[in-house]
Parts: sequence; C-alpha cells; structure tokens
Amino acid sequence: MSALLEVRNLTKRFGGLVAVEDLSFDLNAGEILAIIGPNGAGKTTTFNLISGSLKANAGRVVLGGIDITGLPPHKIAGHGIMRTFQHNMPFVSMTVIENVLVGSHRMMRTPWPALMAGSGMAEDRSARVRAQELLAFVGLPDYADRSVGELSFGQGRLLETARALAGRPSMIMFDEPAAGLTPVECQRLAQVIRDIAAQGIAVLLIEHDMNFLLPLAHRVVVLNFGRKIADALPATIAMDAAVIAAYLGTARRKRARAG
Amino acid sequence: MNGAMRTATAWIGGAALLVGLTYVLGGYGLDIYRKLLLTATLALSYNFMFGFAGQIALSHYTFYGIGAYSVTILMTQAGWSLPLAALATIGISAVVALAVAIPANRLEGFYLALATLALAQIFIVALVQGGEFTGGADGIFGFKSPEIFGIPLSGTNFVIALIGLFLGTLAVLQFLGRSYFGRACRAIRDNPRAAAAMGINVARTNIIVFTLTSSLAAIAGIFYAFADRFVNPYVFGIEPMFLLVFMVIVGGTGRHAGAIVGATVLFLLPEFLGDIVGRRYILIYGLLVVLALMFQPNGLIGLYDQLRHRLARRP
Repeated sequence: MSALLEVRNLTKRFGGLVAVEDLSFDLNAGEILAIIGPNGAGKTTTFNLISGSLKANAGRVVLGGIDITGLPPHKIAGHGIMRTFQHNMPFVSMTVIENVLVGSHRMMRTPWPALMAGSGMAEDRSARVRAQELLAFVGLPDYADRSVGELSFGQGRLLETARALAGRPSMIMFDEPAAGLTPVECQRLAQVIRDIAAQGIAVLLIEHDMNFLLPLAHRVVVLNFGRKIADALPATIAMDAAVIAAYLGTARRKRARAG
Repeated sequence: MNGAMRTATAWIGGAALLVGLTYVLGGYGLDIYRKLLLTATLALSYNFMFGFAGQIALSHYTFYGIGAYSVTILMTQAGWSLPLAALATIGISAVVALAVAIPANRLEGFYLALATLALAQIFIVALVQGGEFTGGADGIFGFKSPEIFGIPLSGTNFVIALIGLFLGTLAVLQFLGRSYFGRACRAIRDNPRAAAAMGINVARTNIIVFTLTSSLAAIAGIFYAFADRFVNPYVFGIEPMFLLVFMVIVGGTGRHAGAIVGATVLFLLPEFLGDIVGRRYILIYGLLVVLALMFQPNGLIGLYDQLRHRLARRP
C-alpha cells in the first residue's frame, strides 16, 4: 500500500537561494511526522509548498494518488488537507463555534442560490452539532457562543485545531503548534494531536521545540540548508551525528557563548 | 417549532406594520415613505457587500441607475412589456456587474473603491451625453405607470409592491447571511488567507457577492423608475452613494437591522433638520460618521445592544 502523502523531488528556489532542494518523503494515514531543522532550513517553505501558498520549481505532491502540486490553498483544503497557523488566525468578528463552522465549508453541499430561499438549514444544523462535538474534543466545550477575543492564546490554538478538523481532513498540518504555549497547554495540545492521529488522520508538523515533538512524533524528517539529512525515529534522531552537528551542536555553541 | 413560529410571527407582524403605515400616511408623508423603502432596500444589499463581505465598492447607486434606466429605455423606446424589460434589466446589470467584478477582484480594498468610483463617474457622463437615448441631463420623464395583471402599479398598490421588494430583499439576504455562504463572506472580510485555508474560494465568493448585491440594487432601480415615472442622471450620482455608505456605518455595519436603522435615521433627519440648517445637514452626517467610527464602531444597532444588555442585567 502506498503512503497517503507522497512528496517527490520537491525544489523551491528564491532567486539564487535554494530554499528546498530535491526533497522527498512519505506520510501515512494515522502517522505523526515532524519536520525539524535550524532556522532557514526550509521547513516553512516546505509547509507552504504543500499547503499551496507557494509554487514549487520542480517536484510533485501527491495525496491519495491525486497530484495536487501547485494547486491554490482553497483547492488543497478541498482535497482534504487542513491546517493551523503559527500565529493564530481566527475570524475575529465571529463566535467560537462560528469559527469552527467556517472550517466545515468544504463539506457543505447546498448550492448557494438555493440558500437564498432558505434551503440548507438541516445541513447547517448537523454541521453545528459536529462543531460542538469538536469543541468538546479539543477541550473548549463551554466556549461555543463566546467571542474569539475572549480566548487565551493557547485556547486559540485549540480552536484552530477544531476548525481544521471540521473540514474532515485526511491530513492536518500544524505550523509550529507549540510556539507561544505554556508547558501545560503544550501537554494538552500534544494529547489532542495524538487523539487526531489515532482516528487515522495523518499529521504533519513543523516544530522547533524538541521537548514537545520528540515524545509526540512517530517519525522525524530533518532538513538542513533545504536538504533532507535524516528521516528516522525520534530516538534515532536524537543521537544522529549529522543532526547534532546541524541542529543541537549550534545550540550548544550558542549557549557556551552566552555563558 | 417555537423558534420558527416566532420568526414567522415577526415577519407577518413586520409586513402588517409596513402595510398599515401605507394607509395611515398620506400625500407628502407617503412620498417620503416610498423613498425610504427604496433607500432601506439599497442599504440592505450594500451592507451585505460592504458590511458582511468587506468589499469597499462605490458603484451601488450606479447599478440602481442601470436598473432604472434600462427598464425605462426598454419600455418607452423599445416598447417592451414590464416583465420582459425587468428580466432583461436584471440580465444587463448582472453582466455589467460581472464585467466589473472579475477584473476588480484582482484589486483589493482601496483599489476596488477607486475602480468602482471611476465606473460611477463614467456612468453619469454616459447618461448626460447619451442624447435622445438617455434623455441627456434632463433624463426621461412622463411615461405611464405599468400594469400587472390589469392592476395599475401606482398609488397604494405601488407602495405595497415596494414593501414586497424591501421584505424580499431582506429575506434573501437574511437566509444567505445565516448560511455557510454568509459565514464564508465574513471569513474573507476577517482574514482572506485563513478563509482560503478553510477551502473557501475567495475570488469566486467575492465575484458572486458583488454581482448579486449589484443586481439587487438594479432590481430596486426598476422600482425606482416607476416611483415618480422620472429618471435623471443626478439621482444616481456620487453624493447619494456616499450617503449610503454613511447610513450603513452609522446604523451598524454587517447587521441587517443596522442597515435599516441607519437608512431610516439618515433619510428622515433632513426632514427635521432641513428647516434649521438647510443643505448643511451633510456636515452633520460627516460628524456623525466620525463619531460613530471613533466611539461606536458597531453603530446605532450596537448602541441598542449595549442598552439592552445593561437593562437585562439590572435586577
């Protein structure tokens, strides 16, 4: 059986700079894959190439056998890849549950002209029930009718997660999910991500925080200067010489200099 | 169902009240009432585009004019019947709206405002320079009221038709606003990037909203043509367009009730202020908009919500 997501020979150049070079990896249903690397390694570029914000110079992205390379973001979402943002991007004029309902947009089947005559209400009601379930799933069951402005940053991240799940994704992408969270919020989010993967949804995350991702990820891809230098289990990654040189080694030098 | 029954009661009660007013008001009052119904209808559709979807376009009165002029020209000069002329008019306005929306969709915010402002100016120039076709600066007047199934669309009948237009526009926009489509519009206004990541086709949604609300303005224009049986270029100029923006902001953007309240207050205000300050009421409007933007961004309807909450909290 082939993987859910197949990334093949993906390359992105910005002028003379090669941000991502000949990158290939697989992601299976129900798997949590972390992409790590030092700043400028090409993590965010990879993320943007898959989610459709950037167009690759070469290479392919295939989801469930369908070539989705170079499609715009709304079509990527339409194929079942939903995402969260590093800096929370809620719809600020809406309540919490309405935000989740926007995530279910791609599931709506009533054609828009019919809506003007009042059709689609049953569909909307069932989407609302599901949105409430998702809020309970991420741990925000009592916030449905609150304004998003009342949520803390960590709760906002959970809302983004519920919103992404509302689109019934086959794959969900997290852009530095631990950034800005307290240790308790990190633990809560890690458990939510584990539960998501347990439902058979593929999880791709890019992350800096080793304490967050090493116990969470099933597999880790390490990038350095746009190239893949490792693709292995978290335990192996922590001991890989190339990874330590590229990633942890730099951090140790920094610490020595600071001290 | 309790909720559905309450909604039905509100609609029937509202319609009865509006129809009742028709018979209470007479003469001058009835004329003001007709114009107010038209203005409130325009405010509703403009609010959907500007308030819900966040598109800053200044062509709403242009489409109102396209509606009024098309139906007038098709009926008086081509001799078409009202239903045929009305359908053709809706078609024409939709085509013009699409021709504006598709290229304008590459423009954002400020540039959409400029492009539609240019369209509005070109429209006025075209009407004034249109010779016998548009009646030039004098417009077209003196044509007779149409009939529908033998009932003349004049006097009270016409006011009832306007109430139908107003409530029909409100119903359509209410249904649409509450649906996933309305949520998509607000999502685009709040954050287009996040909206796209949720699977919303931002360009397509923007084009639909512009075309739909502009066509609703054109439909209101068809009715306008028979209000006084008179169409004139200056009725569809830039000044009433800015007044419409003021109405939506002062009333409360993104809320149907806000659009209705804003249109009512700003439309009726000159009737009371006119004797005191004359044409300078525009200055007062400018002040109101600045005050609303600074202290009450949710408009009069937001003020009403706050008062209601405060009263509800009191034991």
